[in-house]
Amino acid sequence: MKEFLEGSRAVAEVVRLCKPGVISAYPITPQTHIVEELAQMVANGQLKSQFVNVESEHSAASVVLGAVATGVRAFTATSSQGLIYMAEVLFNIAGMRLPLVLTCANRALSAPINIWNDQQDSISLRDSGWIQLYAENNQEAVDLHLLGYRIGEDKSVMLPVMVCMDGFILTHGMESVDIPQQEEVDKFLPAYKPLYKLDPAEPVSMGLLADPDYYLETRYAIQETFKELLKFIPKVAQDFSKVFGRDYKDGLIEEYFTKDAEKVIVAMGSVCGTIKEVVDELRKKGKKVGLLKIISYRPFPYERICQALKNVPKIACLDKAVSLGAYAPLACEVRAAFFGQKKSPQVISSFVAGLGGRDITLETIKEIFKKLNQKELDLEFMDLKPELLKQEYGE
Amino acid sequence: MENKLLFKPGHTACAGCGQAIAARLVIEASGSNTIIANNTGCLEVFSTAYPESAWNVPWIHSLFENAAAVASGIEAALIYLGKKEGINVIAQAGDGGTADIGLQALSGMWERGHDILYVCYDNEAYMNCLSISSLIMTNHGLKGILDIKVGDEIAAFAQNTHNLVYKKCTGVFDNGIKDVYELRTHHHSIKATSNHPFLVLKRNGRGKKNNFVWKTLEEIKANDEIVTLKRVEAEKSYDFSFHKVEKGDYKVNKINPIEIPEKSSPELLKYLGVYVGDGWVREGRPEVGFALPEDSQERKEFIDIHNRLFKSKLSIDKMYVYAHSVNLARFISSLGFRKGAKNKIIPDWIFTLPENERKAFIDGLMLSDGYKLNDSWRYTSSSPELLKRLRLLAQITGFRVGKMHWQEVKKDRQCVKRKLLKDTGFGYVCMSKRKQPDIDKWPSQTKYRNFLIDNKYFDIEKVTEIKYIGKEPTLDLRVEDEHNFIADGIVVHNTGVQRSGLTPFATNTTTSPAGAQSTGNIRPKKPMPEIAMAHGIPYVATATVAFIPDLQRKVKKAISIKGPKYIQIHVPCPLGWRHEPEATVQVAKLAVETGLYPLIEYENGLLIGRRQIVPKPVEEYLKIQGRFKHLLNNPQELKQIQEIADNNIKKYGLKLEPQVT
Repeated sequence: MKEFLEGSRAVAEVVRLCKPGVISAYPITPQTHIVEELAQMVANGQLKSQFVNVESEHSAASVVLGAVATGVRAFTATSSQGLIYMAEVLFNIAGMRLPLVLTCANRALSAPINIWNDQQDSISLRDSGWIQLYAENNQEAVDLHLLGYRIGEDKSVMLPVMVCMDGFILTHGMESVDIPQQEEVDKFLPAYKPLYKLDPAEPVSMGLLADPDYYLETRYAIQETFKELLKFIPKVAQDFSKVFGRDYKDGLIEEYFTKDAEKVIVAMGSVCGTIKEVVDELRKKGKKVGLLKIISYRPFPYERICQALKNVPKIACLDKAVSLGAYAPLACEVRAAFFGQKKSPQVISSFVAGLGGRDITLETIKEIFKKLNQKELDLEFMDLKPELLKQEYGE
Repeated sequence: MENKLLFKPGHTACAGCGQAIAARLVIEASGSNTIIANNTGCLEVFSTAYPESAWNVPWIHSLFENAAAVASGIEAALIYLGKKEGINVIAQAGDGGTADIGLQALSGMWERGHDILYVCYDNEAYMNCLSISSLIMTNHGLKGILDIKVGDEIAAFAQNTHNLVYKKCTGVFDNGIKDVYELRTHHHSIKATSNHPFLVLKRNGRGKKNNFVWKTLEEIKANDEIVTLKRVEAEKSYDFSFHKVEKGDYKVNKINPIEIPEKSSPELLKYLGVYVGDGWVREGRPEVGFALPEDSQERKEFIDIHNRLFKSKLSIDKMYVYAHSVNLARFISSLGFRKGAKNKIIPDWIFTLPENERKAFIDGLMLSDGYKLNDSWRYTSSSPELLKRLRLLAQITGFRVGKMHWQEVKKDRQCVKRKLLKDTGFGYVCMSKRKQPDIDKWPSQTKYRNFLIDNKYFDIEKVTEIKYIGKEPTLDLRVEDEHNFIADGIVVHNTGVQRSGLTPFATNTTTSPAGAQSTGNIRPKKPMPEIAMAHGIPYVATATVAFIPDLQRKVKKAISIKGPKYIQIHVPCPLGWRHEPEATVQVAKLAVETGLYPLIEYENGLLIGRRQIVPKPVEEYLKIQGRFKHLLNNPQELKQIQEIADNNIKKYGLKLEPQVT
């Protein structure tokens, strides 16, 4: 049913529909509304979950770890500092193959302290073994949670899923969202049936010490699962479209006017909405431009990107994060995708924008398309303020 | 009654580990309807090394600090499933995982009021060995680590003077089967675990002083420079105190006359060197034989020496030389060379001899089973232990030695002077005279190349490789004062034992060591039971492995109460506290009986139980543990510790008043 509501509330609604048994979170801007909504639902009896108000994000992640290990679906949400604080536990959860959904309300990382949106937090955990899905708008944010539980809890996957939505832009933005019915959700998402759980009837030990004779294979296994996910996610996206009527195609990328494009921007998250506006505008003027939106950042869809963009001469990678001391994260992956391929773009330029919540406007996007006329750019920061970069010497 | 074992034997805890005892008692008291969340620590490591687990109840380990939070999640999930009733949720950790890094999650769990029992195994520190094949240098020569006893004088590296000193061994610890690596230099090799510290030279750059630092095996890389033993103190000749059988002894009617030397000498040692390679003893016959073909140089030299030393008859044939003397047979048997080509070794006392006698022994060895190859000598043997000890002996006798080369060969292969009689394994080592660089002519260069070049006893060698060997039984020693010893010719440290928030005042640990200016840990124990009570939780108790029924009663009592519970169990650690493995319970008992570890029980903030004592002076508890040894001659510190005990006794009313008749 279509409702006009704040992104955080939409997420709370869909989480309620997924019926997690245990929810545990620690408040941090801009995730707060999500957990406040859920707490209210529990208080009203609309959601029969155990809501554990913990004293830190590290403990929040530990509580949901314990809950999933006991065979119960769980949920948590966080941002920025909280995500990095619980990083240790997140690696632990993935390594122990426990399915979980975590909403990351993308926010910049301290220092300097900044509560506004960029994607540095979730991108910094790209090695952790978590599946990472990025939402362009609040509808996608809702849908990715359903996909997340379904994908992660499948016995062939057994990995946790991070649903990333841009803080404030999506969490605090009001949009028209189709909130599914409980029956639809129940049809798409069966109850969680764990492969193994903590149960006195059948005791198991979890989290053992793996010496050099055993550790390597556990990482290989997760890597192999990610390879299989590139085929599995499209299947689940198909099932999703049958139940809910929204077609995410392969659930990995979205191709927006890329077929005959001469210039394409590759990006993730809410900025894709802005880019689509510019593409529409420029297409009306006859310019052949397009957008490749990445939905699944982990597993990274190298092959699909090559297929979609091999005939596009000029590509811009727009990163809302930076890997200090090296090329930008998304640009690295896209360039790696084309390395050694017979057909690849002539220019793959990298642009970093929007850090710390600096607005990415329609003008910024147009500027990026213009800059693709130049020779290839290793890494270009957009919308820098030169007056802040003047060196000043004290007396 | 439960029949099946809930914490199974076969885990790899040290002998006498207090924590293993307590962990078993806790789960047995709680029963099979228990789910455990365990922090990282000794218990988790020794009980769940994949693919094995000692736990017969559902058990989960996540990280070092979050068992209380994981347990909270488990409890919440059980409530959601409607299954909480009848299932006990226990979160457990060591003192570090509780009072230090784990305190935040624990406080949160208490504050939220979860129905969880938290057990802290308090061994008062963070508790890490050498392979059992290690050879240790003592003042009675080289000894296998298995033969070292408490009280033996062990050779050590004095860290301030860089001299060779002898210090008492204050403990030997069996660390169980661990992953063992081999560290190699050009002239030495040693097997140790990855956390074993070695003394490494730290070069601080031009113009700055170099210094020594302890680095664990996993921190050491190839080309790091480590301290090795160059030579030992010039000892004296060995006194044999051998009593001959004489004519006129019981049932002795006839005996071949022979003279047995009273002390060792270069000649005798050369003779014995030949014996090791070519000789055998049959006491029953009696017969001492040597395989020395006629016309060989060795036979001529040998017979000369024999006549000069023993003045007794020899019978000879084409291949062999015999002495039919019961006294010679018994004498040689008593010297410790062992019998059989594959078994022969160089006994410990040879390592204590003066250099000229040791050199003569090596000459004798070369005369029998050695051969010259250009400028170096090669010695072959089918006894690997012999080759291992020969390497160490040669190193401290002015030779450079290469590594041991071992091969398996088929029968009839020519080996030195004879053909092999059957398939066998044998090896060889190469050695050559050590060339001394001219220290006077080139002082700074030679010192740069080898920091200890002008040191009488020690040398610096570069690490050539470190590789993983496999799982082996391991042991460690505790050496007083210098806390290092020389194993397989390399200077190594005692195992580390670092302080935690529950490490008691004045304990000697590796991160709060007792030194000339410090009496160890300067902080008193964090009062965890008080902190627990400040949270207003319904049950708080302390327990110990010394009083087992009390411990189990407290666990059972705790799980019968709804809400957060805290039990802190005192668990002695023989390795870290440096006491005998069999003394665990005795040590724990003295902790209680001196008043240093009060046994108390609080319900809803009120003291409902305590163990009263007839107080013993704190010295009785301190003196049986190596970690407090440094205090025994320090009356000021003893007074402070006695004060701690007295305050406990007063605070909880622990003193047992005499009965009024």
